[in-house]
Amino acid sequence: MFLSRIVLRDLDSIDSLASMASSKKVVTRDEWERKLRDVKIRKEDMNRLVMNFLVTEGFVDAADKFRIESGTQPEIDLATITDRMEVKKAVQSGNVQEAIEKINDLNPTILDTNPQLYFHLQQQKLIELIRAGKVSEALEFAQEELAPRGEENQTFLEEIEKTVALLVFEDGKNCPYGELLDVSQRLKTASEVNAAILTSQSHEKDPKLPSLLKMLLWTQNQLDEKAAYPRIKDFTTAALEDPSI
Amino acid sequence: MIANQEAEAAVPVPGAVTAVDPMRLASRWRSPEEWERAVKELEAEPLPSELNTFNSSGLFAVVSTDKLSVRYLGSHNHGHDVGVVQADRPAPTRRAVYYFEMGVKNAGFKGQTSIGFTNESFKMRRQPGWESNSCGYHGDDGKLYRGQGPGESFGPKFTTGDTIGAGINYLSQEFFFTKNGSLVGAFAKDIKGPLYPTIAVHSHGEELTVNFGKEPFCFDIEGYILEEKMRQQSVTDKVKLEEPNISHWIVRSYLLHYGYQDTLNSFDMANATEPPATCQNGHREPPETYGLSHRKLLRQLIMSGDIDSTFKRLEEWYPQVIKDEKSVICFLLHSQRFIEYIRDEQLEDAVKYARTSLASFLTHKAFEGLIEDSVALLAYEKPAESSIGYLLDSPQREFVADAVNAAVLSTNPVMKDDHEGCLYSCLERLLRQLTVCSFEQRTFNNNQGDAFLLHKELRSCERSRCS
Repeated sequence: MFLSRIVLRDLDSIDSLASMASSKKVVTRDEWERKLRDVKIRKEDMNRLVMNFLVTEGFVDAADKFRIESGTQPEIDLATITDRMEVKKAVQSGNVQEAIEKINDLNPTILDTNPQLYFHLQQQKLIELIRAGKVSEALEFAQEELAPRGEENQTFLEEIEKTVALLVFEDGKNCPYGELLDVSQRLKTASEVNAAILTSQSHEKDPKLPSLLKMLLWTQNQLDEKAAYPRIKDFTTAALEDPSI
Repeated sequence: MIANQEAEAAVPVPGAVTAVDPMRLASRWRSPEEWERAVKELEAEPLPSELNTFNSSGLFAVVSTDKLSVRYLGSHNHGHDVGVVQADRPAPTRRAVYYFEMGVKNAGFKGQTSIGFTNESFKMRRQPGWESNSCGYHGDDGKLYRGQGPGESFGPKFTTGDTIGAGINYLSQEFFFTKNGSLVGAFAKDIKGPLYPTIAVHSHGEELTVNFGKEPFCFDIEGYILEEKMRQQSVTDKVKLEEPNISHWIVRSYLLHYGYQDTLNSFDMANATEPPATCQNGHREPPETYGLSHRKLLRQLIMSGDIDSTFKRLEEWYPQVIKDEKSVICFLLHSQRFIEYIRDEQLEDAVKYARTSLASFLTHKAFEGLIEDSVALLAYEKPAESSIGYLLDSPQREFVADAVNAAVLSTNPVMKDDHEGCLYSCLERLLRQLTVCSFEQRTFNNNQGDAFLLHKELRSCERSRCS
C-alpha cells in the first residue's frame, strides 16, 4: 500500500509536467537569433519607411535633408507639405480663422466634403474665443454659426453644449469639460486637419511606421499564446528577453 | 559569384580586429538580380497553372491540349458520371487570398456546370460539393454544395457566357464565389488540407474554360485583397503603443545610427518648436551619438567617391579601423577606390591600383567573390551596362559607407562587443523581430495567410495610393 501511494503521487507530477511541456512550443534564443539573421531587409526599404514618416508628419526640411543625405526620393512634392504644415501650425497656435482660409486656398472642396472637420474647426474657434475671455463674441458665434449645425446633428449639439458650458465656470479648467481648453484639443483638431488634407491629396493619412510597431505588439501577443520565444519588450532598445519557460 | 559572397560571411578573415561582417548590412543588396532571386526563394510556392489530365475520370470529359478547357463526353445517366477536373496543383496557402475563374463557354443541355474546391482524395466522378471535404457552386440551381446533403440557396444560376470565380480567403478563413465580377457570397472554410481548384461539367455539350491567373480576372481581386488587408490592419491599429512618441524616437535613432546628421538636426529643431506632447520624454541618449559628425563626413566622402580622403580621415580619427591592412574594411575601401577609377574611365590607374592594393586580398578565400566581380569590370567596354554594372552605382558606395559606419561605431568602447548594435539600427531590429514573429505565427495557422515582409508591405502601400 505504501508503495502504491508513492507511485500514484509520482504519476501525478509527471502528468502535470507533461501537460506544461506540451502547451507551448519553445524556441531557444539561439534558434530565434538564427531566424532573425535570416531575415532579408533592404536599406532602401527602411529609408522609404523613414521618408514616409517625415513626409506624412510634415517634417519638410528634415525630408529634404534626408533626400540629400540618403538619396531617397520623397513620395510627394515637398512643396505641398509646407502648405499643409502652415495650416497645422495655425490650428496649433489657435488661429482657427487663418487655418480655415488657408485650407480653402489649398483646396476649397476639403471643408465641403468634411462636415465633421469643419464643425471641429468651428468648435475650436469657439474654444479660443472663450479662452480669450471674449464672452459676447463667443456667444454670438455660438448662436449664429454653431447652433444651426447642432440642429442637424445630435453629436454636434452635445459638443456645442459642452463647449458653451465652459463659459459658466470662472476657471475653465475646473469645468467638467475643462480638457477642451487644453492644448491637446488643439492638437487633436490639427491632426484631423492634417489627415483630411493628406487624403485630399490622395496620400495615406497615417505614416506606416506606427502601424508596424502596433503590428509587432499585436503579433507578439498572439504568438505568446502558442509559443515561448525571445520577446522584445522595450522598443527603444529592441533588446531580446530570454523566453520564459 | 553570389555563392562566394555568401561564403564570405562564414570564413573568418585572418587578422581581423572587431570583424563586423558587412554582408549582414541591410545595404548589401546592391544587385537587383540577387535581391529578386532571394525574394523569390522566400515566397516560392507551386501554383496551379493548368488542368490535371492524369487523375481525371477520363471517360466523362476531355481536356483540351492547352489544358485550360474541358468538355463533357459522357451521357449523364446518373450522379456518378460527372466530368470533373482538378487543377494540376493545390491552391497555395502562404498568401492572403487565392483566386481563380472559369468561363462557361457552353452550358450545353442542362447547364450543370460547377466550380469549387476539392481535396486530394475526391471521387473524380462527382460534382464538387457532393462529397465531404469539397465545396461547389452549381450553375443549374445557383446553390452551394458543401459535402453530403442537399445544397443551400446561395446565389444566381449561371450559364453560357458567364464568368464564375472561386477563392479562398485565408485571413477570414472563408471560401467565396463571384459571378461576372461581383461577389456572390462567402462562407466558413471548414475543410483542411491541400485544396484543388475544381471545375465540372455534366451534360451534353457543356464546355468550360479556366483561368489560373495568366489572363486578367473579371473580378477585381486586387481590390478585394486590399480591403481584407485594410480590415486586418484596422484590428492591429487598435493596439495601444505604450509611448505615443516612440516612432519619433525610433526615427531619431535611425538617423543617429547611420550618421544622417543634417536630417537629425532638422528633425530635432522641428520637434523643439512643436508643443511638448511630441518631444522625447527624457530617454537616455542612444549610444549612437558616438562619432556622429565624423561618421557624417566619412559618409559624405564615400558617397561622392573620394576614397583617398576617406583613408586620410580614418587615419586621423579612427586609425584602428584601418590598422589591419588585411581587414574587410580595408578591402572594401580599396575595391571601392578601384571601382572609382573605372567609373572615371582611368583604366590604367585602375590596373595599377589593383596590382598594388587589391592583389594581396586575392589570397584570402573570403574576398574571392567581391574581387572577381570588381576586377571583371575591366573586361567591359561599357561596364555600366554589364551585369555587374551595379557596382558602379551609388548603392555600392552606400554599402561601403555603411560598412565604415559600422566599423567606426565598433570603436566605441561601449559598443565593442555589440556587433548587432553596430550593424543594425533599432528600427531594423524591430522589423526583423516583426518578420520572424509573423512567420512563426503563420506556422500555427497551418502556414495559411500572409506574413510580414517589409518590401511587400511598402509595395502594397504604393498600390493603395494609386487606386
